[in-house]
Amino acid sequence: MADKEATVYVVDLGASMGDCHNGRDESDLDFGMRYVWDKISTTVAASRKTWTLGFVGLNTDETNNTQDEEGLEGYHNISTLQEIGPMTMTELRELHPKVKPCEAYSGDALSAIVVAITMIEEFTKKLKFKRRIILVTNGESPIDDEDDSITDVAEKLNEHNIELVIIGVDFDDPEYGFKEEDKSRAKRQNEETLRKLVEACENGVFGTMQQAVEELSIPRIKPVRPFKAYDGPLTLGDPNKYESAISINVERYFKTKRATPPSATTVVVNPDRGYTQSQAFDDGDVEMGGTEFSNVKHMRKYKVNDPSAPGGKLDVPYEELAKGYLYGRTVVPFSDSDMAITKYETTKSFTIIGFIPFDSYSPFLNMGETGLIAAKKFDEKSEIGLSALIHALHELESYAVARYVQKDGAQVQILLLKPNPGIEDEYECLYDVPLPFAEDVRSYQFPPLDKVLTVSGNVLKEHRLLPNQDLKEAMSDFVDAMDLSGFDVDEDGNPVDYAPIDEVYNPVIHRLNQAIRTRAVHPDGEIGPPPEILLRFSKPPEKLIKKARPDIEALIDAAELKKVPEKAKGRFKEAVKPLSGLDIDAILGQKKRTVISPENAIPEFKQALATAEDDETVEKAVKQMGEIIRKLITNSFADVFYPRAAENLRVLREELIGLDLPLLYNKFLRALKKSLLSGELNGDRREMWFKYIIGGQLGLVTKEESEMSDVTEEDAKAFVKK
Amino acid sequence: MAWGGDEDQRPEGEDEDEIDETDYKTQKDAVLFAIDISSSMLLAPDDTGNKKADKDSAVTAALKCAYQFMQQRIIAQPKDMMGILLFGTEKSRFRDETGGRSGTGYPHCYLFTELDIPAAEDVRKLRELVEEGEDADEVLVPSKEPVIMSNVLFCANQIFTTNAANFGSRRLFIITDNDDPHKNDKAAKSSAAVRAKDLYDLGVVIELFPVSRAGKAFDLAKFYDDIVYRDPAAEAAGAADEVKTSKSGDGLTLLNSLISNINSKQTPKRSYFSNLPFELAPGLTISIKGYMPLHRQAPARTCYVYLGGEQAQLAQSETVKMDSETRTVEKSETKKAYKFGGEYIKFEEKEVKSLKDFGGRVLRIIGFKSQSRIPMWASVKKSTFIFPSEEGYVGSTRVFSALWQKLLKSKKVGIAWFVARTNANPVMVAIMPSGSLSEDGSDTPYLPAGLWLYPLPFADDVRTVDIAAKPRTADELADKMREIVANLQLPKAVYNPLKYPNPSLQWHYKILQASALEEETPQDHEDLTIPKYRQIDKRVGGALAEWKEELEQKAHELVQSRAVKREMDIDEDEERPAKRSKPAAKKAAGGGQMSNAQLKAAFEKNTLKKLTVAELKDVLASKGLSTVGKKADLLEKLEQWIEENV
Repeated sequence: MADKEATVYVVDLGASMGDCHNGRDESDLDFGMRYVWDKISTTVAASRKTWTLGFVGLNTDETNNTQDEEGLEGYHNISTLQEIGPMTMTELRELHPKVKPCEAYSGDALSAIVVAITMIEEFTKKLKFKRRIILVTNGESPIDDEDDSITDVAEKLNEHNIELVIIGVDFDDPEYGFKEEDKSRAKRQNEETLRKLVEACENGVFGTMQQAVEELSIPRIKPVRPFKAYDGPLTLGDPNKYESAISINVERYFKTKRATPPSATTVVVNPDRGYTQSQAFDDGDVEMGGTEFSNVKHMRKYKVNDPSAPGGKLDVPYEELAKGYLYGRTVVPFSDSDMAITKYETTKSFTIIGFIPFDSYSPFLNMGETGLIAAKKFDEKSEIGLSALIHALHELESYAVARYVQKDGAQVQILLLKPNPGIEDEYECLYDVPLPFAEDVRSYQFPPLDKVLTVSGNVLKEHRLLPNQDLKEAMSDFVDAMDLSGFDVDEDGNPVDYAPIDEVYNPVIHRLNQAIRTRAVHPDGEIGPPPEILLRFSKPPEKLIKKARPDIEALIDAAELKKVPEKAKGRFKEAVKPLSGLDIDAILGQKKRTVISPENAIPEFKQALATAEDDETVEKAVKQMGEIIRKLITNSFADVFYPRAAENLRVLREELIGLDLPLLYNKFLRALKKSLLSGELNGDRREMWFKYIIGGQLGLVTKEESEMSDVTEEDAKAFVKK
Repeated sequence: MAWGGDEDQRPEGEDEDEIDETDYKTQKDAVLFAIDISSSMLLAPDDTGNKKADKDSAVTAALKCAYQFMQQRIIAQPKDMMGILLFGTEKSRFRDETGGRSGTGYPHCYLFTELDIPAAEDVRKLRELVEEGEDADEVLVPSKEPVIMSNVLFCANQIFTTNAANFGSRRLFIITDNDDPHKNDKAAKSSAAVRAKDLYDLGVVIELFPVSRAGKAFDLAKFYDDIVYRDPAAEAAGAADEVKTSKSGDGLTLLNSLISNINSKQTPKRSYFSNLPFELAPGLTISIKGYMPLHRQAPARTCYVYLGGEQAQLAQSETVKMDSETRTVEKSETKKAYKFGGEYIKFEEKEVKSLKDFGGRVLRIIGFKSQSRIPMWASVKKSTFIFPSEEGYVGSTRVFSALWQKLLKSKKVGIAWFVARTNANPVMVAIMPSGSLSEDGSDTPYLPAGLWLYPLPFADDVRTVDIAAKPRTADELADKMREIVANLQLPKAVYNPLKYPNPSLQWHYKILQASALEEETPQDHEDLTIPKYRQIDKRVGGALAEWKEELEQKAHELVQSRAVKREMDIDEDEERPAKRSKPAAKKAAGGGQMSNAQLKAAFEKNTLKKLTVAELKDVLASKGLSTVGKKADLLEKLEQWIEENV
């Protein structure tokens, strides 16, 4: 896995490689380099010092290799373009322009392989390395096809334990199903020679570029070395106290661990270079490459409230701070020595609490990743002991529930242990998943799904919210028709599992990796759409849909769904009534609220709008609300009234959108912004603007939000930015 | 916290899926308990001599509930507020200092705990009142004249308006035994109704916890039906949350009854996403909401404390971004880039967007499988609960219900592509039902009935672990272990998380509480996750001892046989002992290596069909038979051969 690697790429750069063949609109070289760049950039991405590579050009106009320098014959038009070494972006950038078609056409591929062998030999010496040579050619230039030469090279490869991969552009591959029509005689012969060579190698691969390029889109999964999370006894009973207690030595590994996509770093254009760069490129667009960026550093500053300090906040140096916890809003400082006692003292242990039957457990209780528990190696007692437990659990269809402390001081976890008796695969083991504690369960109440309870306490079994018999049957037929197991068969007619886990790749990880590699190699190129394979399982298979079509239609008919029109969402208001159905508006109507009091502003504002009969009343209410908001801000000591002002503003915004009067809101907000930033409202009120209004997404109402608005998304963004 | 600081931003790389749906209102909850202090509420129950009988007056029970609620809130919802308003008291108190109004504004309303994130002092004050019955201020004295309910409601209104102005969830818990506070006063009733409507418009939800006394039911129709509104969400789903009356009896104390009713409302129902299109099939979409009823609760992180002032004070941190020359940089100057080969690879904003775009938020079924087809190890993350909503498609609920019933009945799961929010990472999920079709059969009574989105691992998430295939020699051991397993079932044969509080969490907050209240540090506490060792020994001690003895012997035999084998097997492939209930062949060993005796045994046990097609072909090939045909044909061929030849 983390083995050392030395790979030399031998790429034919001959004149014919610059031409397009077989209806492709890219040259043979570009076509082949798709494969090579992908491989090289994968190595770059890994940034491992021990993964090294070199690059040899075949049919280069110049000749530059050690064999030739030593005066050996037949090594002309072969150049070492990069010596073996670790690969970083710098090397990649240097190598990139060197890979271009040349005029030459008489370099010998076999000789180039020898050059590569020598490079590997010198670099790796006798050390443990994974050695590999990858040759990419279209086989148009002459190759020494004497049997002796082939045998010599093959022997040398075998002697140094080098794997030889030859990938030919338009080489025939009956297994893959590719055959080039009208192949030139020379090419046919060269293909034959190379095939012979590969066959003579102990470790050789011969393939056609079509297949290699096609396989590029199949995501490669980063192998991870197994990590032993626990190594110790699994007990039943307490061996320290009871003689009867049993103890089995086990090892615990991760079976699943969520792989994460590469994370982005915040960078900034370097001050010195950034300056010259923006001079050089008028549009300010910085060229790809790393050196013009540097990582943004984060400095933390600490402040405490202090009414006597300017702005009410006092800067405090980090050194003067103690650590602590919050208990509610009370700050509880702890000295470093006292800190330890806030942690529950635990000792490493793994002990079974009890057992439960399979069917009393629901998988959605899983709280996280799966572990795998096996007996300690070379410990016969534990091996058969654990085996007996696994089989007993399996036969009784039971799980064990265990208390797990990974190491001294670690938090307690409760794990569910599931027996895997090794019937479907080869290994006997226990799998474990974490279970929730009491604190992890939030008791949310939902109405039942199979009956409707009325306010008066009646139970209804027939209701518009409940499926009738037709719908139930249609659903049942639909679910059965859409069954994935066995709808598809392999070549032998055996049902295959659809979307098994090992074929479902994380789209985000592979999409991002592929884009980064593409960008690294072709700084100016497009990143292209995501490969089809990543979206394969985002939709039901067409074949299945076709098969289930009648059942789908029947279900659609039985469901009688109606889409809620866009317009009605949120705007549509029915008079709200308490449980009794009492008409509050009628009571309110008798004493209309036209003056809005600051302390009960929101209800009174809403009620004023609800009962308003003309625009004038609305405008009056809006004006009052606006005054209240401004007053709250003006009278706010530091930020105490900001939340209230923001909430009033939010209600104002929501109501005006509902009334199709966004212009009123936008007008008010423009004026408010000016007042806030100019200090007109009794001092520095920028926090209100930035944290509460922008942060609270209370900006201008856009066209998207309300058709009556004349503000575009961009306008709204620009308004917020300055 | 100052603007520009990034306290609200998550550290880079942290799982974006965990961020709750961002609503422009702060997703915080404020609960104000309003407890009726009347003479009937204060009446202690008769002493019946029964130990299990009620000892608490309704007020005491209510205060105990509030106390428990407060402690739980500090642990589970450290940013949420609560307060306690007593009404019908002789004394009146609103806020003394800054609030402006004196107690006279709301006669017979006593704000016992200000609506805020609870402080240690609040906990202590409440505990003194509850546990030690210390009522030095004589707040628990009922007033002589009746309290005016509209006043109580407006008082609550003001408390919410000022203290929790922009909280996403604000709830008033009214605990009372008086179902008709304004018997013959129509005007008082109307003005209470108006104040209740104010609260509704303000966004405050009133939750009523009626206390009923023996022989006297609490009649909502008399007064409270004018006060209480339906939860709009529940209304859309067509069913109101029941108002549950608390009472003692049926073996339940008033306290327990009240606690269970209040606990069910402890956390406001926050949705993780709403109005998400759920595509059952092309052309068939319903709308759903998502919730997270399961969420790992961890102790809060440490904070920095400034001790230089009069009081220990929380230091607020602010981050400043700097470049390599320690110049402060503005947010607009920064770019997102990826490290690659020692340098940065940068994408344009537009490209970053397109990289994350896998086609919009949706839950789309791609088909169904039997639940047993999900490998038992396929777990990576907690599940999300979904429930139908009528906001996008009218009729969603009945379709959802039909699906739920079908999945329960056929033990199937839906396999679906799931993108929770715009630009969220897509995941594959199995859609599983919870609850039960019968009245009482749910295995998870503490969780709601509905559907769960169970995240499936990607190929990238699966680790290969090379463990040696283990020998399986001792059937007797497994038999004996069965007896042990069968005798150590958890209570009710189920894992009920509610029985297992997290000991690390409980300890942490116990210590914090003691330090905050300057009390003695507790020495130990009850850890309910520790197995009942004594019981284990008592119940199966004998069996365990026998098992151990047997194990000793079997292990010894295995060591011996391995030693012998090592000598013998220098050239030969190691042949592992056959396992019970398992076809003798392994993929690795290759079906072709099955001995005739093994084949015969498998044939007689009828386990040949467990061989895979590849293994079958191997076996057939090794016997010189044709390997063409479907699995059934291959099996038949092999069985025939065994019958004839072995």
